[in-house]
Amino acid sequence: MDPNKSKYGIIPIFFWIGLGLLVMILSYSLNLGGLHNPGPGLMPFLLGFFLFLVSIYFLITFPYKKANRDGVVKKEQGQINYVRLCLVLASLFAYSLLFETLGFLITTLLILIILFRSTNNRWYAVLIASVLTALVSYFLFTYLGIRFPKGILKWV
Amino acid sequence: MRGKMDIFSGIISGFQTVLNPINFLFCFIGVFIGTLVGVLPGIGPVGAMSILLPTTYGISPVSSIIMLAGIFYGAMYGGSTTSILVNIPGEAASVVTCLDGYQMARKGRAGPALGISALGSFIGGTFSVIGLMFLVFPLAKAALSFGAPEYFALIILSMTVVTYLASGSFVKALIMVLFGLILGTVGIDSTSGVARFTFGCVPLLDGIGLVPMAMGLFGISEVLMNLEIMLERTIFETKIKNLLPNFQDWKRSIGPIIRGSFMGFFLGILPGPSPVISSFLSYSVEKKISKDPTTFGQGAIEGVAGPETANNAATGGSFVPLLALGIPPNISMGILLGALMIHNVIPGPLLISQRPEIFWGIIVSMYIGNIMLVLLNLPLIGIWVQVLKIPYRLLMPLILLCCLIGAYSINNNIADVIIMNIFGVVGYVLRKFDYEMAPLILAYILGPMLEAHFRTSLIMSDGNLSIFVERPISCVTLVISVILLLSTGFSYYRKMKGKVIT
Repeated sequence: MDPNKSKYGIIPIFFWIGLGLLVMILSYSLNLGGLHNPGPGLMPFLLGFFLFLVSIYFLITFPYKKANRDGVVKKEQGQINYVRLCLVLASLFAYSLLFETLGFLITTLLILIILFRSTNNRWYAVLIASVLTALVSYFLFTYLGIRFPKGILKWV
Repeated sequence: MRGKMDIFSGIISGFQTVLNPINFLFCFIGVFIGTLVGVLPGIGPVGAMSILLPTTYGISPVSSIIMLAGIFYGAMYGGSTTSILVNIPGEAASVVTCLDGYQMARKGRAGPALGISALGSFIGGTFSVIGLMFLVFPLAKAALSFGAPEYFALIILSMTVVTYLASGSFVKALIMVLFGLILGTVGIDSTSGVARFTFGCVPLLDGIGLVPMAMGLFGISEVLMNLEIMLERTIFETKIKNLLPNFQDWKRSIGPIIRGSFMGFFLGILPGPSPVISSFLSYSVEKKISKDPTTFGQGAIEGVAGPETANNAATGGSFVPLLALGIPPNISMGILLGALMIHNVIPGPLLISQRPEIFWGIIVSMYIGNIMLVLLNLPLIGIWVQVLKIPYRLLMPLILLCCLIGAYSINNNIADVIIMNIFGVVGYVLRKFDYEMAPLILAYILGPMLEAHFRTSLIMSDGNLSIFVERPISCVTLVISVILLLSTGFSYYRKMKGKVIT
C-alpha cells in the first residue's frame, strides 16, 4: 500500500457509516417485528446498527492509530500501471454486456486479444494464443455441457 | 468394540467409494490442480476452489467434495515448492518455509528441502486424517444435543475468532464480518417470504450468489492486484538432486514433524486460518526449543519440516467442525460448505448416519490424496519447476477466462458474470485499503444460518434474550467471544508473527 495513501483510509469509514445508516433505514421499512416474533427487518437492522457503531468508533480512533499517522510501507512497489488495470476492467464488463449479443466465440476472441496484448506480448503471439484459446475453450466447455450463446454467429 | 467395527466398516465403504474410477479421477484432478495453484503465485487454493465451484453442479456431491478438498490440501504441498526455489510463497501457509527453505536451496540443498517438505506434509496429512476419523464421532454425538442457541453462539465464536486472528486491523476485520452478514440478508427471506434489499432486481431474489461473489473477491480481485505490477520471477537455477533426505536430516526433522502434526491438527479444529497459524506456531516453537536457534533463517531443516507438516495437519483438523457440526472453521471449509449446500447436503451430526458415503468418501479420499501428492511432488518436481517458469502475463488471461466462463455456467445467466465483476472491483478496492476478504465471505456464508438460529432461539424463548445465557454451552461460548472482542492490544498470533519475521 502506498504509504502516502494510509491517511486516505478514512474515506471508506464514511462509506461504512453511510451504509450502516442506510441498512437501518431500509430494514425499518421491512417490519422489524419484535423479539417475540422477529420480522424480516430485525436482523438487518441490528447488523446495520452494529456497523454504524463500529464505524463511528473507527472514525474516532483513526487519528490516533500510529500506522495512519506515520504511514506504513507494507512492501516495495514500483509504478502502478493504472491504464492496464482500467483496460482489463473495462473489457471484463464489456464482455458481460456483449456476450449474449455477439456470442461466445467473438466476445471471447476479442477479450483474449485485449488481455494478452495488455501485458505487452507480441502481436503474432497474441493472435495465435487468442484464437487457440478461444477455440479450445469453446470445444472443451461445450463438451463439459455448458451451452454458450451463438450471438451473431447463429446466422452462419 | 462396536465403535471400532463402525469405523472399520466405514473405512471399507469409503475405499469402495473412492476407488470408483470417477471419484478416483476427481481426487487426482483435485490434488493436481491444488499442487498447481500452490506452485503458481497469483492464485491460491480459495481462488481455485471458487473458480471450480460451478463445475461441481454437474457431478455428484461426493466427487465435488473430493475434488475441492484435494485442491485445499494439495495447495499446501505445492506452496512449499515456490517458497524453497523462488523465495516467493505460493500461498500464505508456506510463507515461513521461505525463511529456511530458500536458504537451504542457496546452499545446494534444494532437494532435501523439497523432499522433507513433501514427506513431512504426507505424515502430517495422514496423521490428521486418522485424528479426524476418531474425533468427529464423539463431537458429532455431543452436537446432537445442541439446539438453536448453541449453534448461534458457536457461529458467533467462529466469526469472532476469525476477526481476532486477522493479520491486519481488528476493527477492519469486524467491519468485513458485518458487511458479509448484511450481504447475506439480500434476497427473499425464507421465513416471511419478503424480498430484502433486491431493489426490484430479479437475479437478486435468490440472494447474491456465493459462487460469483467468491470468484469475484478471490479470483478477479487477485488478478487485478497482480496486474498492478507484473514482476517477473527469477527461479533459483540449481540442479535438484537427492530428493530424499539423509539420515541426519531425518534425525533433525522427526521431532518437528511429530510436534507439527499435533499442533497443526488441534489448531485446525479451531476457527481461524489454521494452516497459516499452525505453520507460524510450529516455526516459533522449533526455534525456541532448538539447541542452536541461530541456525534458523540460515537453512535449518527443522524450519521446513515443522511448518510444512503443521500446515498439512491443519487441513485434516479443519474438517472436524465442518463434518461434525456443519460449521466451517475457515474460508476454504466455507467454500466446501457452499459446495455441499449446492447439492442439498447439510453437514453436521446427521451427515454420518444419513449420508455415510459422503462422510467416509471424504475421509478415505484424503488418505489416497496424500499418497497421490507425495508421488506428484517428489518424482515430478522437474515438471513443477517448468510450470513455475510460465510467465504471469500468459497465465492472467487464462485465469480471467476461466472465471468468466465459470460464472456464466452457474445458471447460463450473464447476471452472475456481472455480479462477479462487481465483486472483483469491490474486492480490489477493499484490498487496496487493507481490508481482508476471508472474514467477509465467511460471514456471508454463515449469516443466513446465524439469523435462522437467532430467530428460532427467540421463538423458543418467547422473545427472551436470556436463553443465550441460561444454556451453559451457549453461555460459555458467548462469554469467550465477548472476551476476545473486548481484549485490546496485540493478539498472541500477531506478536508471534512479528517475532518470526524479524
